Amino acid sequence: MSLLRPLLVRSLTMVGVFFVVLIMLVLTLGLTGFSDRILAATIGEQLRGERTALAETIRDPDEMEKVLEKRREELEIFYGLSTPWYYRLPRTALRVLTLDLGEARTLRSFDGSNRVFDIVTERVPNSMLLLTTSLIITAAIGIIGGAYLATRQGSWLDRFVSGFAAVSFAVPTWWIGILLILILSIQLRILPSGGMYSTPPPTQPLARFFDLVSHALLPVITLVLVSFGPSIYSIRTITLNIAQEDHVKIARAKGLPESRVRLRHILRVAAPPIVTGLMFGLAGSLSGSILVETVFNWQGMGRLYYDALAGTPDENVIVALTFIFTLMYVVIRIVLEALYVFLDPRVRYTD
Amino acid sequence: MSMASALRELLRSGPGFGGAGLMCLLILVALYVLLAFPLDFGESQWSNPVVWVDNPKAVPPTWTNALRREALPLHRVFEGTEPHTVQMARSGPVHSWRFPLTYASSHPPTFLAVTLADVKYAERPPLVLISLKRPDGKQLRIYRHAVRGPREDESGPFQRYAQTPLRVQLSTDEATVTAAQNFLADEFDLRLNGAQIGGRVDRILFGVPAGDSDEAFAPLTGDYEIIVQAALRAEGDSVGKVRFVVGGAVFGLMGTDSLGRDLARGLLFGLPVALFIGVIAAFMSTAIGTTLGIASGYLGGRADITIQRISDIVANVPVLPLLIFMLFIIGPSLWIIIFILVAFGWPGLTIQIRSMVLHMRTNQLIEAIQSLGASRRRVMFRHILPQITPYVLAQLIFAAPSAILAEAGLSFLGLGDPSIPTWGQILETGFRTGGIYVGYWWWIVPPGLCIVLTALTFMLLALGIEPIVNPRLRQPAS
Amino acid sequence: MTSLLDVRDLTFHYADRAGAVRAVDNVSFSLASGGSALGLVGESGSGKSSLALAIMRMLPSNVARYDGQIWLDGQELLGLADDRFRQEIRWRKLALVPQGAQNGFNPVLRVGEQIIEPLVVSGTAGKKEARARAQELLAYVGLPTDVYLRYPHELSGGMKQRAMIAAALILEPPLVIMDEPTSALDASVQTQITNLLKRLKKELNLAIIFITHDIALASDVCDDLAVVYAGEIVEIGSAEQVLLHPSHPYTQRLLASIPRLHADTTPQFIPGAPPDLREPPAGCRFHPRCPLAFEPCAQENPPAFELADGQMARCWLFEDGQEER
Repeated sequence: MSLLRPLLVRSLTMVGVFFVVLIMLVLTLGLTGFSDRILAATIGEQLRGERTALAETIRDPDEMEKVLEKRREELEIFYGLSTPWYYRLPRTALRVLTLDLGEARTLRSFDGSNRVFDIVTERVPNSMLLLTTSLIITAAIGIIGGAYLATRQGSWLDRFVSGFAAVSFAVPTWWIGILLILILSIQLRILPSGGMYSTPPPTQPLARFFDLVSHALLPVITLVLVSFGPSIYSIRTITLNIAQEDHVKIARAKGLPESRVRLRHILRVAAPPIVTGLMFGLAGSLSGSILVETVFNWQGMGRLYYDALAGTPDENVIVALTFIFTLMYVVIRIVLEALYVFLDPRVRYTD
Repeated sequence: MSMASALRELLRSGPGFGGAGLMCLLILVALYVLLAFPLDFGESQWSNPVVWVDNPKAVPPTWTNALRREALPLHRVFEGTEPHTVQMARSGPVHSWRFPLTYASSHPPTFLAVTLADVKYAERPPLVLISLKRPDGKQLRIYRHAVRGPREDESGPFQRYAQTPLRVQLSTDEATVTAAQNFLADEFDLRLNGAQIGGRVDRILFGVPAGDSDEAFAPLTGDYEIIVQAALRAEGDSVGKVRFVVGGAVFGLMGTDSLGRDLARGLLFGLPVALFIGVIAAFMSTAIGTTLGIASGYLGGRADITIQRISDIVANVPVLPLLIFMLFIIGPSLWIIIFILVAFGWPGLTIQIRSMVLHMRTNQLIEAIQSLGASRRRVMFRHILPQITPYVLAQLIFAAPSAILAEAGLSFLGLGDPSIPTWGQILETGFRTGGIYVGYWWWIVPPGLCIVLTALTFMLLALGIEPIVNPRLRQPAS
Repeated sequence: MTSLLDVRDLTFHYADRAGAVRAVDNVSFSLASGGSALGLVGESGSGKSSLALAIMRMLPSNVARYDGQIWLDGQELLGLADDRFRQEIRWRKLALVPQGAQNGFNPVLRVGEQIIEPLVVSGTAGKKEARARAQELLAYVGLPTDVYLRYPHELSGGMKQRAMIAAALILEPPLVIMDEPTSALDASVQTQITNLLKRLKKELNLAIIFITHDIALASDVCDDLAVVYAGEIVEIGSAEQVLLHPSHPYTQRLLASIPRLHADTTPQFIPGAPPDLREPPAGCRFHPRCPLAFEPCAQENPPAFELADGQMARCWLFEDGQEER
């Protein structure tokens, strides 16, 4: 029995997703002429630089123009501007695939590098920290709350949670974040309104950790607040459906303790559909965290998006971010798919 | 089930009734906005600072005074076209406007501004004088303006301030500062220099020295009068419009933003935009999703496999990063937002409709109809489509909130269409300019509430409709 | 002589939104000893599955009434605390193969694990010992021992049914209730399972309560038959008595409705539908559909009248001793 083959089959869609996004990037850059404009601007800048350098040696303006024209042609070939975008961009895409992401215009990494790779990758752990923490908390609340709610079907609490879940779908996550800042940081001054560390950050490791926690509290609360209602409700429904299945009846008839029935025969069986739910919610969670990072000035990829869009736009950073974001999404999805295949023997192939 | 009985059942359920009621309300307000606002409201008004120049900046709504121990000053605008009195002086006719102002607040006005428009004269330019008469009987001239005389190549009659009215912010005008300085020296024997007065002109004009220190002023409440006089040089000369603004610290129903924009108007205009985005995006993605779903389920074979594969992939694309990217490259436009939301919004429905159609295709009735020789197309449109229509309708309503939220999120990132103000954009300016950090809640909370209310209306409606359309249709897909 | 199982006046009602459902009403029967089988026969909705659940004390949360007496091996079960009932009776003395045992296995755990679970949880045996025992049982019910390591979805319907029976036997209970154990299987597999049940009776001295709607199938396996109608046992007796001399009009109709291969009679359908157990008809519950109904039938529910050697019927026709059959 192999776990690998079903996993490969299930991951194929994700690889497709990845390439679709890549193709969309290339098409957008090419069809809008955006790529040509950027290259022309880069070449122009370089030529201006060279002109000042050449002015030392070449006095004759005509000859200067001739030299520069020749240089321009060389550069156009070098950057690929002489060929149409549909020849050039696939090569660029390949370059991007090898994580050669170019250089940023104005944005810098925390230690001053202008390589987009450095700028983006140093943000990934920060984003993951926020995302995984809130996902785990949401899942924990969902599983405990959902399992509990399944035992009180039709109670006022049950109805309240189902209404709360519906409302959650109508609330923008980031706005909740703003409200929390307004109430908890500005009015009550309980928690910091943004950033990841105080300025200056504490140097002692333990103090630093608690500083980080206090800064993470509001964004995590925000993300959990809008997602735990739907999470409880869907797990409640899954659990209820499973609790009515015959094998649960049998487990009880076997004289097993109720706790064992709940854990092994209800929750364990609910695990695969819960993971499926996580998979469907993942894109939403990622989008939510882009915006929540922006609100709380959390130095992750989402905030980087905002910084790259505001002020002088940084094209390379935005292309790279979109790419890395998709990559991250695809990787997490594949991890979840693996978890699913591991949890649900029914999708495994038998020899 | 007939339409009428379905409607009755909808109104009987709690969410259905709430959703339908709210939706009616929203549609009524949206219709009012469409009639009362120009369609180019965004460009001609919202993004045009001239429109909002006389409003106080970033002040809370007027009704918040009811919650305060000490009321903040109201915003007062006085406007006159025909002069209130006309006198003949030696130099010519003097037109005067007198604006009575009962000032009750213990805070000074936030600013004083005067605007003159449509000045006409035959030969010599008129002189405009503005005085303030205070409750303590003291009167001072706070502004004096000589309208610009004829230029060399110009011939009469002369027109001034026709296209761009003259607006003077008295609170910071040098002439007014000097007038205040003299007033204090003459009346209270208090000598302050320009720097000490700067920025506190309003406090001086609407107060008396408090005595304990040179720079403290106690508010003076009571009946004031603002007197605008235009000394004209000839019969027929005129000042077409006079406007005097006593800036308040509260404004309107919803307050203002940092540019003085009336948030109530922005919020109102946001409603039809949000409804439009929700309905159009939902409608188009539902149409595509349904068509492809029926085609996939009914045609089968290669078409089915192709559509399934594509929808599988498209359904799993993380849309927000792609949206950000494309809006950034192509430029922020409401149509692009809608286009992308539609382009990635259909697959979920396609997958569901397909399984429903597959289920129905094995239905004996459909098989019988087919064996009687009905064409494929006829079976699809006459027999399958009507059965899934109610379900599709519910999905359409379900799809609207996500489109509204997506647009709001993008606007919040600064990718909103600048020519059309939306709730997300109002929030974005509030956030970007730091409005939340100084506690401008009236700028932050209402737009979000509007988004939630609108999205919730669709949600409630969908929740109300679902049980009506579903029991017949929600069969387990095999 | 005390019998292995003695059920007396067992009553089980549950409440739903529309009222109390009288699923089991005043049911009494007994099962003499190991190696014998009692068939509970009735239409669907007659309450026979509820009877099984009531004996296993697997009650829904909305139970409205649950009383009577159940004596198993000289022990009264209804008076037993829930915890003791779970630990001492379930699966140890009383196992259940449920209706649709196809879904009786947890889909994400291996079959073997689920078979030995009660053994391991109660601490009676180590895992190794339990496994050996389970594999022995699997072989006994006619399955390859590697089924132990397989997942339920890898087994066919018939295999799952056998594995379920093996699971029921793991604690060597004296009595197993089998609820429609063969209904979802095709005919040849059905025969294999009934043969297996007969072997269990004979070789393991197992007592079986066999619940089915198929009276012919029941007669193949069972020594005694009880006919259930609307939550009551309307006739009970040895298989021979009930089949050859059906007394209750319902039993007679039920037998007449079975198509026979070598007979001139056409199968007769019973007119009308089984009653709503929320409001069963006053008097005899069968009287609205009974062609032989007379005045007392609508007035009062008949008690069980003894006919001969343990055969009993709830029908006013037998009030005055043993009248004509």
